[in-house]
Amino acid sequence: MQLLAQVLVNGVLLGGLYALMALGLALVWGVLNIVNLAHGALIMLGAYVGYYLFTLLDVDPFIALPIAMVVLFCVGYLLQAGILNLIARAAMFNTLLITFGIDVVLTQLAQMLFSADYRTINPGYAGANFMLFGITLPWVRVLAFAVALLLTLAMWLFLLHTRLGRGIRATAQNLGAARLYGVSPKRIYALTFGIGAALAGGAGDLYGVVSQINPYIGATLTAKSFAIAIIGGLESPLGVVVGGIFLGIVESLTALYIGPTFVDVASFGILVLVLIFRPNGLLGSTT
Amino acid sequence: MKRALGFMAVTLAMCVSALAQDTITLGASVQETGALANTGRYYRDSYNFAVERINERGGVKVGGKTYTLGLKILDNQSDSNLSVRQYVQLLTQDKVNFLLGPFASDFALADSSVAEKYQVPMIQGGGASDQIFNRGYKYIFGTLPVASKYFESTIAMMGKLKPAPKSVALLYADDAFDVSVANGTRELIQKAGLKLVLDQRYSSNTSDFSTLISQLKSGNPDVILVSGHETEALNFVRQAKSLNLNPLMYSFTVGVPTADFRKALGKDSNYAFGMTPWVISSANKDAYFGNAEDFAKAYKARFGYDPDYHSASAVADVEAFVKAIEVAGTLEPTKVRDAISQVNFPSLYGTIAFNASGQISLPQTVIQVQNDQVKAIYSQSGMLAAPQYPMPHWDKR
Repeated sequence: MQLLAQVLVNGVLLGGLYALMALGLALVWGVLNIVNLAHGALIMLGAYVGYYLFTLLDVDPFIALPIAMVVLFCVGYLLQAGILNLIARAAMFNTLLITFGIDVVLTQLAQMLFSADYRTINPGYAGANFMLFGITLPWVRVLAFAVALLLTLAMWLFLLHTRLGRGIRATAQNLGAARLYGVSPKRIYALTFGIGAALAGGAGDLYGVVSQINPYIGATLTAKSFAIAIIGGLESPLGVVVGGIFLGIVESLTALYIGPTFVDVASFGILVLVLIFRPNGLLGSTT
Repeated sequence: MKRALGFMAVTLAMCVSALAQDTITLGASVQETGALANTGRYYRDSYNFAVERINERGGVKVGGKTYTLGLKILDNQSDSNLSVRQYVQLLTQDKVNFLLGPFASDFALADSSVAEKYQVPMIQGGGASDQIFNRGYKYIFGTLPVASKYFESTIAMMGKLKPAPKSVALLYADDAFDVSVANGTRELIQKAGLKLVLDQRYSSNTSDFSTLISQLKSGNPDVILVSGHETEALNFVRQAKSLNLNPLMYSFTVGVPTADFRKALGKDSNYAFGMTPWVISSANKDAYFGNAEDFAKAYKARFGYDPDYHSASAVADVEAFVKAIEVAGTLEPTKVRDAISQVNFPSLYGTIAFNASGQISLPQTVIQVQNDQVKAIYSQSGMLAAPQYPMPHWDKR
């Protein structure tokens, strides 16, 4: 019982980080109709921003978080304005090809610049934990979970209540009408992609605190984010959080009861089931 | 004018063929990029270093004629399918004379089939899985110790510790090397009369160990043996700390000897046990590099990072070819193959000699990170230094 409770808590905390990773991917996918295969590479870059700020300048990773987000926002904005706007609204296949290309370029650049050494963001408190009802809670994961929820909430409010947020949603829903109302799609696309990249950057910084980083972590993180975006649905940030936590719990329970080698089978199996029975995600409309 | 051009062309052609004649080329497909680039670089750099040094010291003498050693390395991008194609390319298009290996058992397992098919010997220092050597192949030789015995010295050491550990948990990744390690270790654990409380396989590249660690906490084994990759060892240690997992000791097949491991974990790398077949000592004499210590210094100066056993193993592969070719007195692959099976010479890596199945017999030395330094703790001859055991609880460090 104790073990089950601990494993469930592990799953929920893991899910929070997953959700933050997937949030940017889901936003870009929903608004721009681009499945960004370079999303994991952007998370990796965010992790390196956090790593260098911490090791070279002694900046705490939670203070580095907004900096990583700003840096990655710029990277994302430039990528969209310089490259991806060329294929905006093109067929899905073109966007897959070009983001795959960006992923390869970013990964190779990272190896050239940062080397293939394994790194960690390892502040003194990285392994600290506290006990609650006999369950061990790692501080960093709890904080990462809280940050993930806060950012999600902020995203949600931003999309609902700000002029820019409404512009983004309008562009996603009806491009023609949005244009008539004075929305400039190219700018909106670049901003959206920038926000997506910023979320990836924040997730990367936190990822570096709980895990190891190297230039090649991107591919698996993209796959994971992709699965969460589908399970949670693209309609609202809350769906992504539900998807992330759901996946975190499923993975933890699978590892406990079936075996750790079946974790990916379970998560991608659920992906298929969701696509069959609830194609718009767990929280999405059923029509 | 025409005649001059013709003359030039003929001279050029002669030069090229003369060059081709006087060079013995070794070919290898190595992980220069991709997920395994971190370890792949040891092989790329060591092959280059060894070939350079051997050429500086006069090259290779075959039947009274001196050859320079050449090297052709292709980048397999950490993709084992590409690696197989590249070995075929090395033999059929690039016409290299002999093959050096890639890193990792999965790769060596697939690539050795190319060597066997074309009957060109491959000496590899990157794959230890027993599977590579128990298929009856004649053209594959290996300079890493047998995977199934990786934990042999560790378990022997455990018998001498106080308080004596009684229960063990075994975690291993699902690839050729780690499955071989687990199969061997299971027998060793049984022979030593230890209780195996958890025997769990996990997916390679797992980054989240929180469930396994929670299980370990509730099973409470004295010793945790992990056979996986360096990234997994790093994640395991970090998460063990954050979930407050406190066994008497834990040991990892890979990672612990590298400078990377200590740098990434800082103080948290302390108390971790590991193993290495190569101890950097001046007692390991070498015909080209002086001894292991000299080699380690020269290597660090040349490439900017410390060598580990992967580097030494790779250098030994190149030296084994030179020895065998000189003894065989020909470049005929089958004759060189027979000569390789008979080599027996001292090197910076240790004594190089292969058993009937083509693998070297080298014991593992148990090591431990103590105060951010790697210390040799136990070898076949007994305790070399006092182990820090049991390891202190995380909250008391």
